[in-house]
Amino acid sequence: MSFKSAVITFPGSNCDRDALCYLKDLTKGEVHNIWHEETSLPKVDLVILPGGFSFGDYLRSGAMASKSKIIDEVVKHANDNRYLLGICNGFQILTEIGLLEGALIRNKKLKFLGKNCFIKKKFKNNFNLSIKDNQILQIPVAHNEGNFYCDTETLNLLKNNEQIAFEYCKGEFSNTEENINGSIEAIAGITNKKKNVLGMMPHPERAYSDFHQSQDGRFIIESLIS
Amino acid sequence: MNEELILQHGLTLDEFQVIRKYLNRDLSIEELGIFSAMWNEHCCYKTSKKWLKKLPTDNEIVIQGPGENAGVIDLQDNDGIAFKIESHNHPSYIEPFNGSATGVGGILRDIFTMGARPIATLDSIRFGLIETEKTKYLLNGVVHGIGHYGNCIGIPNIGGECEFESTYDFNNLVNAMAVGHVQKDKIFYSKPKSIGGLIVYIGSKTGKDGIHGASMASDVFSEEDEDEKRPSVQVGDPFMEKLLMEGCLELMSSGLIESMQDMGAAGITSSSVEMASKGNVGVYINLDKVPLRQPLSAYEILLSESQERMLAVIDKKNNHKVREILQKWQIDYEVIGEITDTKRVVFESNNKKVVDLPVEIIVDDAPEYDREFYIPRKRKNKDFDFSKIKLEDMIINLLTNLNYLDKSWVFDQYDSTVMGDTIREPGQSSGIVKIHGTQKVIGASTDCNPLYIRINPYEGMKYTVAESYRNLIACNINPLAITNNLNFASPLDPNIMGELVLSIHGLKTAAVKFNTPIVSGNVSLYNQTNEIPIKPTPVIGMVGSNMDLNKINTNKFCEIGNKILILGKQLTKNCSPYLLQDQKIAFNICEFNDLEVLDLDFEKKIANCVLELSDLKCIMSCNDISRGGIFSALLKMQYKDMGFRVKVPDPIDLFCEYSAGYVIEIRSKDFEEVTSFLTKKGAEYLDIGEIIKEGIEINSKKFDYFDIMNKYLNDFEKIIS
Repeated sequence: MSFKSAVITFPGSNCDRDALCYLKDLTKGEVHNIWHEETSLPKVDLVILPGGFSFGDYLRSGAMASKSKIIDEVVKHANDNRYLLGICNGFQILTEIGLLEGALIRNKKLKFLGKNCFIKKKFKNNFNLSIKDNQILQIPVAHNEGNFYCDTETLNLLKNNEQIAFEYCKGEFSNTEENINGSIEAIAGITNKKKNVLGMMPHPERAYSDFHQSQDGRFIIESLIS
Repeated sequence: MNEELILQHGLTLDEFQVIRKYLNRDLSIEELGIFSAMWNEHCCYKTSKKWLKKLPTDNEIVIQGPGENAGVIDLQDNDGIAFKIESHNHPSYIEPFNGSATGVGGILRDIFTMGARPIATLDSIRFGLIETEKTKYLLNGVVHGIGHYGNCIGIPNIGGECEFESTYDFNNLVNAMAVGHVQKDKIFYSKPKSIGGLIVYIGSKTGKDGIHGASMASDVFSEEDEDEKRPSVQVGDPFMEKLLMEGCLELMSSGLIESMQDMGAAGITSSSVEMASKGNVGVYINLDKVPLRQPLSAYEILLSESQERMLAVIDKKNNHKVREILQKWQIDYEVIGEITDTKRVVFESNNKKVVDLPVEIIVDDAPEYDREFYIPRKRKNKDFDFSKIKLEDMIINLLTNLNYLDKSWVFDQYDSTVMGDTIREPGQSSGIVKIHGTQKVIGASTDCNPLYIRINPYEGMKYTVAESYRNLIACNINPLAITNNLNFASPLDPNIMGELVLSIHGLKTAAVKFNTPIVSGNVSLYNQTNEIPIKPTPVIGMVGSNMDLNKINTNKFCEIGNKILILGKQLTKNCSPYLLQDQKIAFNICEFNDLEVLDLDFEKKIANCVLELSDLKCIMSCNDISRGGIFSALLKMQYKDMGFRVKVPDPIDLFCEYSAGYVIEIRSKDFEEVTSFLTKKGAEYLDIGEIIKEGIEINSKKFDYFDIMNKYLNDFEKIIS
């Protein structure tokens, strides 16, 4: 059975093409691109909400996109126990929908951050199965609101349920930061309780091809396919 | 018409008399507005035209030279590359965030107007001394603005330059460059195809922002002006531009559009006049149909520079389909006029013709000046005293000068990897992106050496072009073509005019030698405030390619133990201007010795050696030598805690500037092959040392690697905040 997937495009999405290439190149299966005004989703194994500035980030990052027509179908897809991955703005949209806990607030230095970052896996789930413990991945980030925040009660829940998928860490060399954007407990990505929905700030779709600076973004799709 | 009103519109009384005589009647206020917009320096190049005509603009790969929204070059198969650089200096000084943001927005529209999808941006920004609060405010605002616009629309920023120097204290420079990929058989031009075609308005509604922006850009500033002029800075909305870009590219690929023109400087006036002029036709536009944000007079609509707007010509039969596509992207769309055979520009408002002018008088009869210019006097040669210079102090001088420090603080605010095709990010000698779906890569670099050009405009400009050229060569990118942004002070001063004329001449000489024609450009004059002129700053944006992405070089050290060779010819320490200036040996421009004549044939010879060695896979990493000499080049190459151990006859040599200068890293096992290759080619080389772990050693003197790296990598942020 080949792996089927889809990418949702909102007005202002700008990583939708990147996500489509990422899926096409790594899954070798059928990949659909779905416009936000559609009211149906094909039956696929994975849906990606891509990065970008959906609706210009007006109101609040992800807020307007979370009210798009297609979102009902995206929620149904997740409730069906199939995979849903929100990258960057997609992560912000998932917290706005309420599929993921917490919120993404402005980076601690109040500046956009576009650079390579280093992350490692925290708790095991189907998105990071093929990543070794303590393996350091190099993946770019590009965000203004990537500082993950939640209250203590929620944080304890996330820990107890092992919902923290990735955390920021130092790279192998000097002059790299522990926690680039000030996220609580350096959280870079979390899942829902059932662990079929992942939101992450780093962009794995920009780190998979031979010509990219790193190929560590492959592990996520490889984990899902294996 | 009273004189004051004419002068307020930036026209001289002589210019007004030319118009008056031609028309043989009085002008309406709207018509005066049109001449104000079209006859200023920004739109008609009245001072520079005579000299720009001398530039080489064509060769076998040029598809479109200057004169369109952007130049286009051929990249084999069906691939074309559209690119251009443009300035937004004055608006960015008055309102740094919006001024720089709309600079990026404007240059991106120039690219997708040609039917090209933008694939990269670069910039060249210059500020005054960081000691003033004002500079900190400007730097923060400009970087935020460039980042905000590019990040949101989703085009990677792949490089540029950022420098600080006192003559920019009251007149910062913001030049933005964009590069796009176009299919050669789907290039769009501004020339309309048929009489009777509908003129349609696409994009944001028109508001009061930016009225008289273009004529502001052609004015000398005084400090008091700043607050007064703020309302004429445009406000950008990158989200709207993203929708506009996607909408327009979809219309173009669906074949629904005949021609397109973006509404940039001087808004609807300039775009419609240019359309008429290019097609040798007339235009009729009903201003009552223009979508408005607020009630505006005809005069205001004509001169508004509201952002994110396009003017297109379509066939009547496609009206419905065009509307459908634009509705999907939620973009305003209105038919506002048509192409006529009258060769006149006619604007109607409230059933009254407010403008009725022959295209000829606006465009062809635009003034062209042959301004007086002086050639700088010959300089006397002198020897500087280097006896008190210590190596430690030289290093400290560089590490406390913003111009030498790592500028990640700037670049990290830009998204440089969106679109997934970025190969080299900002901070390397050139930015490189892949042409989507191919193995081809495009490299680009922006450069200028204002100090060199002030000392000797002709030779200095040759060095500037050569620096861009070396930046590309170092990555094994084959240089192809140039866009330029000529930033100068007031040309009414014959000394400044001399800098303009001679540097254009130097640009010509170098471009001819390198076979890199100038395919697009921009001129920004009157860059002076309170009578302090900026240093001459003609910025070069050079674009090149490699057909195989696996062949490009990195600028970063690869492996401990590899050898470090130097190629090129060192300039003597008495003739290395940045060494003298930045090591505090010479202060005043008149103290400097003349530049050594740059041998462009030698540049080409060494460049070819680098390209050949790269193709032979003998070069592990390579960087060009520019400001700060070998030492600065080596600092930039550090990576993953790798440093260097070098030996040179005189430590000062490490800080001298170069012609055709490159640092190359090679494996010890390739040493014989590389050196015999170089000897065979008659290219001298210097074997100066090797790459070591976590160390910096110069002539056996050890320096604290982590201390130097910490300063180099992190002090920029400390100094500017």
